[in-house]
Parts: sequence; structure tokens; C-alpha cells
Amino acid sequence: MAAREACLVCQIIGNNIPSKKIYEDEFAMAVLDVNGANPGHCFVMPKNHYPIIEQVPDSEIGRLFQVSNKISSAIFESLGAQGTNIFVANGVPAGQTVAHFTINVIPRKENDGINLQWQPKQLSEEEMSTVELKLKEQTKNIGYFQKDEKKPRMHAPKQKTISEEEEEYFTRQMRRLP
Amino acid sequence: MAEQNISQEQLKALQEKIKNMSPEELKEFQKKQCVFCQIIAGKVQSRKVYEDEKALAILDINPSNPGHILLLTKEHYSIMPQVPDDEVAHVFMVAKALSNAMLRSIDAQGTNIIAANGVAAGQRAQHFMVHIIPRKENDGINFVLPQKSMEQKEIEAVGNRLIAALGGAAAKEEEKPVIPLKLQEPEKKEGKGSIDLDDISKILGVK
Repeated sequence: MAAREACLVCQIIGNNIPSKKIYEDEFAMAVLDVNGANPGHCFVMPKNHYPIIEQVPDSEIGRLFQVSNKISSAIFESLGAQGTNIFVANGVPAGQTVAHFTINVIPRKENDGINLQWQPKQLSEEEMSTVELKLKEQTKNIGYFQKDEKKPRMHAPKQKTISEEEEEYFTRQMRRLP
Repeated sequence: MAEQNISQEQLKALQEKIKNMSPEELKEFQKKQCVFCQIIAGKVQSRKVYEDEKALAILDINPSNPGHILLLTKEHYSIMPQVPDDEVAHVFMVAKALSNAMLRSIDAQGTNIIAANGVAAGQRAQHFMVHIIPRKENDGINFVLPQKSMEQKEIEAVGNRLIAALGGAAAKEEEKPVIPLKLQEPEKKEGKGSIDLDDISKILGVK
């Protein structure tokens, strides 16, 4: 429980910290980021505490991104955005700042000060082939996804539980941030 | 390409033609112009790292980091709001699996998953795709998400507009999930072990 109590996102979901809720169902909640990159920047979060995407069950992944897509459409419709980004940072080197899986849905306008671009790196054919083979070695196992249940509350899929030790480990990791 | 040499008049005629197209015709037209549809059809070469009936993952030829993956829907959609719910769910389940594969195979310490809708958001191709980027410390990628403060009034106003556009979803807690899911269960393949969280946490452990 320690990690959950220390988790800012769990506190928001539990209504212990006030927030502007945009959307809520059994699995997901979306709130407005009050210090967003642009007005209308939303966080979409699973209600269950999962530090990283790999721990989120497939069925919940599906729902969370469907909700994100709906919010992205709503941003286009209601806020006059010129674009939207769906952005996930997974792990500290990727820019993750909270140990609770979160999807950012960000309204965009030209010259809004946001940068999600990169400088392309030049790789040799050999380097490309090496990385291709390495990835394929792992991706050949992909192919079975947990099917979503019609009545999720009554037939919740079995989830791998996260041990307390692991939770605390992630919390420690995230506390290393500035 | 021959199209680059067309005259001003021909260009106008073409624009007029596009204007008068039905949505189906327009989609067909975009498909023909779309390099990613050519890749999916196998007419343009690519390095495929994953493929199923709905999605294709290839290596980006201009990668932000080695192993940068473009995950495409096989169907042509210009932007994500056009993608049907079941395909959204499927594509991001695949994205999760690919992120996982990166952590295990190419020593990634983290991943970014990014979709861009519209030129202002950084979209460059007219085909919906998800970028999955392997990350390491000090890898030279500097994403900037500034923090802009909002006044309480603005938060309420913006929030309420979004809630209205979503059909008041936040207000109806009792309601079932708005999004019914109908996913096809792909063939079960052997060899898929359960996610080893210890493994991931080690990798994510940054040193």
C-alpha cells in the first residue's frame, strides 16, 4: 500500500487531491493538467496503480487509448486546436515523472513552445539489420492479447499483482527525479 | 514523378477534382498517394519487425534512436480520430508489446509512445501511425513540454467545454464504459511468457 499512498495519481483518483475531472469509468479517469503544456492538456490514467505500461493489462490499454482518442477528438471539436499529441513516457530516461502509467493528450497550435521532434540519427545498413534482428527475436512472441470482458466489473481478468517490494522500488526510482 | 511537372491549370483541375470527390473516392485517392500504403502492400521495401491482420510495425529509416519503430494501421486513416475503436485498442496493445520487446532486446531503459494528429502536432505523413522510441539516458532526445499555469476560471471553462464535447462523461459515474470493445482474439502463439516484472524493473532501474 505504501506506494499507492505515496502516489500522486492514486491520490487524485481517490479524490484526496482535488482535480478537474473530464472523464471517468470503472477503469479509467481523465483530468485536466493544471500546469499543462497547453490549456486543455489532459492526463488519462488507469484507476489501478501500474507504474509502467508493461504492467497494464491489454484490456485496460485498449480502453485507456480509446478514451484518449475520444478526448483528442473533443479537443479538436471544442478547443479549436490545430492538432493533438498522444504522448507516453515510460521510464525515467523517457521523461516519466510519476510512478503511475499516464497518457498525455495535448492540444497543439503552431509555435506553442512544445517540442516532440528529434534529430534523425544516421545508421548504417548493418546497424539497421542488427537492430531489426534483435527486435524480431522478441516480437515473434507477440500475437495473443488479453480479450476484454463484456462485464469487466463482474469478470475482471486475472491481473498479475505487483508486489509491495516492487512498488516501493519504483517509488524510490521516481523520487530520484528533480 | 510526372506530377511534379504539371502546369498551373492542371493543378487547379486536380484540386477541383479532389474537392468534388466523395469521402470514399478521396480515401482511395489518398491511399494511392500514400507511401505507407505502398509499404503495407509490399510495393515499397521496409524493415518489418511485426505484422498481423490489422497492424504493421517497421523500423523508421530516419530514427531518433536505433530501433525507433513506426506502427501503422493497415487500413489508411489520415488521423487518429478516424480510427475505429477496436483498431485503436488493438494498435496500442501492439504498441505495449513492442515497447516491452525493446526493453528486452535492445537495452532500452525506457520508451516513448507518440502519436501526432495534424501538422501543428508534428505529423508528417498522411497515414496514422504510432512512434515507439527506445530511450536511454543522455541519448540526445530533448522533448520539451513546458508547464503553463492556468487560472482556476480557465481550468473550469476549458474543462467544462471538454466535458460537454465528451457528452458529459465525467458526470455519469454509474454509466457503463462508453466504449464497447469487440476485439478479435488473434491466434494464440506459443512461447509468450508472462511479463517478467523483475526483468523490466531491472532494466528501468537506470544503472
